[in-house]
Amino acid sequence: MVLLRGFLTLVIFFLLGEAVRVLAGLPISGGVLGMIMVTFTLMVRGRVSDELAAASQGLIAVLVMLISPGVVGVFFIADRFSDHWLTVLVALSVGTMLSVLTTLWVMKKVAGVEGGGDD
Amino acid sequence: MNDPGLKDIWVYLAASPLLGLTITLVAYGLAYRLYLRTNSNPLANPVVTSVALLIGLLLLTGTPYEDYFEGGQFVHFLLGPATVALAVPLYQQFSRLRQLWLPVTISLIAGVVIAAGSSIGLAWLFGGSTEIQMSLAPKSATAPVAMGISEKIGGLPSLTAVLVVITGITGAVLGTKLFEWIRIKDDTAKGIAMGVAAHGIGTARAFQVSPQMGAFSGLAMALSAFATALVVPWLVDLISMWV
Repeated sequence: MVLLRGFLTLVIFFLLGEAVRVLAGLPISGGVLGMIMVTFTLMVRGRVSDELAAASQGLIAVLVMLISPGVVGVFFIADRFSDHWLTVLVALSVGTMLSVLTTLWVMKKVAGVEGGGDD
Repeated sequence: MNDPGLKDIWVYLAASPLLGLTITLVAYGLAYRLYLRTNSNPLANPVVTSVALLIGLLLLTGTPYEDYFEGGQFVHFLLGPATVALAVPLYQQFSRLRQLWLPVTISLIAGVVIAAGSSIGLAWLFGGSTEIQMSLAPKSATAPVAMGISEKIGGLPSLTAVLVVITGITGAVLGTKLFEWIRIKDDTAKGIAMGVAAHGIGTARAFQVSPQMGAFSGLAMALSAFATALVVPWLVDLISMWV
């Protein structure tokens, strides 16, 4: 019953998120909007109920499993991207490293975080 | 031709969503055990192994993806509520921020913009299609959020899911090396950079380095999912106005 009530909260906010997305025509998915709404609700309330915490933990623990049916699908449309794999990999790994460096650099500038050897 | 043979049972089961659902659960179970066996090595990430198992099984039995997805969709559907559920760790992490919130927010947004902008730019430079660019844009956010964004900006959610996983592994493996090269020692900064660029997979790696790095990586991952959802769709609009 505890899990069910928590799950109900999540589903209701998911539904609300979908409704807001359709009504406002936002380029963000209903799930993400639901997440934003729950975050603000929790900030206003100042605490997380045990029910919601239990249901969230349960789902987040198996996130990896939840994405697997979608990921499997890419293999079956992979020939559409066969010419582009190198492009994708370069963009992805260079982009990721640039992001790491930017975050570190800005952290250092704004917060004065010690960088070790290079100051 | 008397009692129903093994083949008939197979034909019946293969057509029912139950089989797709079951193999999804079993593949994850096996993949997760393997991951624990290798001491949570990022290269043995359960997404990679479970997906490989599923693809292998589908190819071996000649099952079309659509048939599998009849069952897989039940698991897939739970991504929506799971995305909403991310609000709980996000809220819990907010309390860690107190004094650090301004620098963290600024560096986080910078990291998110560069992660999305640079991958769109690089993909465009090397001749990647718009679909590929849009699938790449949200790659540093956690998978359910990234898939949701990708769908709305004209990417392919399933391709994005793959890119998210590869990004996570790349970030976890190369990121740690990068910290050594540039001799960054501060665990707070390292954790935040890791969480922004490599979401949950990077966070798992960060927890192996130190609890502090892990905690900040978890915080950054939650916040950057939030920031990516807010920033990337507008960033994409902005870029498409120039190009």
